[in-house]
Amino acid sequence: MVNQKSRLNRVVLYIVVIVLAAIFAFPALWTFGNSLNDVYATVSLLPSSVHLSNYKLAVTLIPFMDYLWSSIIISGLTVVLTTVSSAVVAYGFARFRAPGKSFFFILIISTMMVPPLVTQIPTYIFFNKIGLTNTYLPWFFWGIGGNAFFIFLYRQFFLTLPKELDESARIDGCSSLGILWRILMPISIPIVVTVAVMSFQSSWGDYLTPYMFLDSTKWNLATALLGSSYTLPNNPTIILKPVIDAAAVLLTIPTIFAFFFGQKYLVEGIVTTGLKG
Amino acid sequence: MQKMSPSKKREALSFYLLISPWLLVFFALGLLPLLWGLYLACTNYTGFNFNQLHWVGLSNFSTVFHDDDAISSLFRTIILSIVIVPLSTAIGFLLAVLLNNKIKGLPFFRTVFYLPSVFPVIAAGLMWQVMYGRQDGVINIILGYLGIHPINWMGYNLAQTSLVLMMLWGSGGALMIYLAGLKNVPQSLYESAAIDGAGSFQKFWKITIPLTTPVIFYNVIMGIIGSLQMFAQPMLLTPGASWNTVPLQPIYLYVVNAWIQIFTNNRYSYGLALLWVLFIVVFILSLIVFFTSRYWVYYESGEE
Repeated sequence: MVNQKSRLNRVVLYIVVIVLAAIFAFPALWTFGNSLNDVYATVSLLPSSVHLSNYKLAVTLIPFMDYLWSSIIISGLTVVLTTVSSAVVAYGFARFRAPGKSFFFILIISTMMVPPLVTQIPTYIFFNKIGLTNTYLPWFFWGIGGNAFFIFLYRQFFLTLPKELDESARIDGCSSLGILWRILMPISIPIVVTVAVMSFQSSWGDYLTPYMFLDSTKWNLATALLGSSYTLPNNPTIILKPVIDAAAVLLTIPTIFAFFFGQKYLVEGIVTTGLKG
Repeated sequence: MQKMSPSKKREALSFYLLISPWLLVFFALGLLPLLWGLYLACTNYTGFNFNQLHWVGLSNFSTVFHDDDAISSLFRTIILSIVIVPLSTAIGFLLAVLLNNKIKGLPFFRTVFYLPSVFPVIAAGLMWQVMYGRQDGVINIILGYLGIHPINWMGYNLAQTSLVLMMLWGSGGALMIYLAGLKNVPQSLYESAAIDGAGSFQKFWKITIPLTTPVIFYNVIMGIIGSLQMFAQPMLLTPGASWNTVPLQPIYLYVVNAWIQIFTNNRYSYGLALLWVLFIVVFILSLIVFFTSRYWVYYESGEE
């Protein structure tokens, strides 16, 4: 009797989970399906036939490759610099005593509350005034500065590592940065990958800073796809929806890859650090 | 002041050297722009008149509070946040609870629920345009099969609902953290509760939820901060969305208004005042959640 009841419970559980999964997957799956549809076909739930031509149009009707290149530069700069720099700063917080340390830690945490535009717009005004817009310099500086949340994640993780590791390396003549690089970073791979994946996903999808700091010819893909003109070349009033869908799929694919690349570590990295807030 | 020993001095110096990348960038591209923005908000800056700036005091700020666009968009945004943040927290948490039942195919389901939250906002918005289209939107096509007339999802009456649904699609963002939190609840607690005769609902309410409140707390704070700054989502829920789009009134949100004031109307100083007001609102709301947290967030004794 009890067994029967619990079996029924499991069946209901699976039905609920599967239905929810179908709902969550639906918008992306349907967009993908529609992107394979004939460009002139009337919309239907399943594509009448499979065409890759929409993808070809998506990359040729607008300067897609230029936008993609800009996305790669912005994300590349951000991921590499933020991942390294946040670790260096967090190492300072996790391992060194100094007057003012807790003040600066609270300061870092409270910067997470500042809406980014409050600082970015004056920064933009300043960069514009000294003629430094339309370069990738802002992302270089932001990358060097690290990211408050990532500094926090690294710090939490470093705090769980035994101090004896550092001390024995120091006796062997290792410098502080050497200890970070050779001892702590290699055993912190889950958190390094978590930070790299998260900073990739947010920089890849960013559209506000590229809009402000770059001319439209240098926009990254996300910025360019808000209001890109996928229309018939000889009739701009006809919007090619399946082509827009293809472009949305192309913009999404790298974030999915990043997730699968980091999935194993993402879970581990969050389990060990995300809970001690 | 106590004199520091040389080794302590060296340690302090190392600390400041290590945090210097953050510290320098924080001063140059964080604190300075923040304060300079506050200064510009007290001038007549329009984007071109650097040579004729004058100090106008707090008049831009008092305009904010007399500007119907600003105040009504502020309340609209706060109300939408009050709807979105608890709902998405609850959905994310319930998804985690469902998946925590030793379910087969956990990695698959986890991926399906989590991925939408990391999709680029612009791509997610384009996908929901496909969902919400009036003549050729998927939802209306399905409703058509059921004999229901097309619904104007992006119209005046439903735009807010559509925005909320679209935001809730990202509810899985905290799924991993919740799953980890649920795994962290000691099994022994459930066992002793079972001995005391607690049912599964009681166990959920008295053990599972209290022990995961620290994680919920973090996500509520971040959810509030994020949802008060919604920008691209309302733009994308406007047919023919582009950078010059003005969303319909029900989804004309606070940051959208600030953005339009600055980049469309060249009211730089006024726009900066708007953003500073947002900053203060975010700060106050976070403080409220923070100070109430002692009543509902459970911390293990001995831990801060």
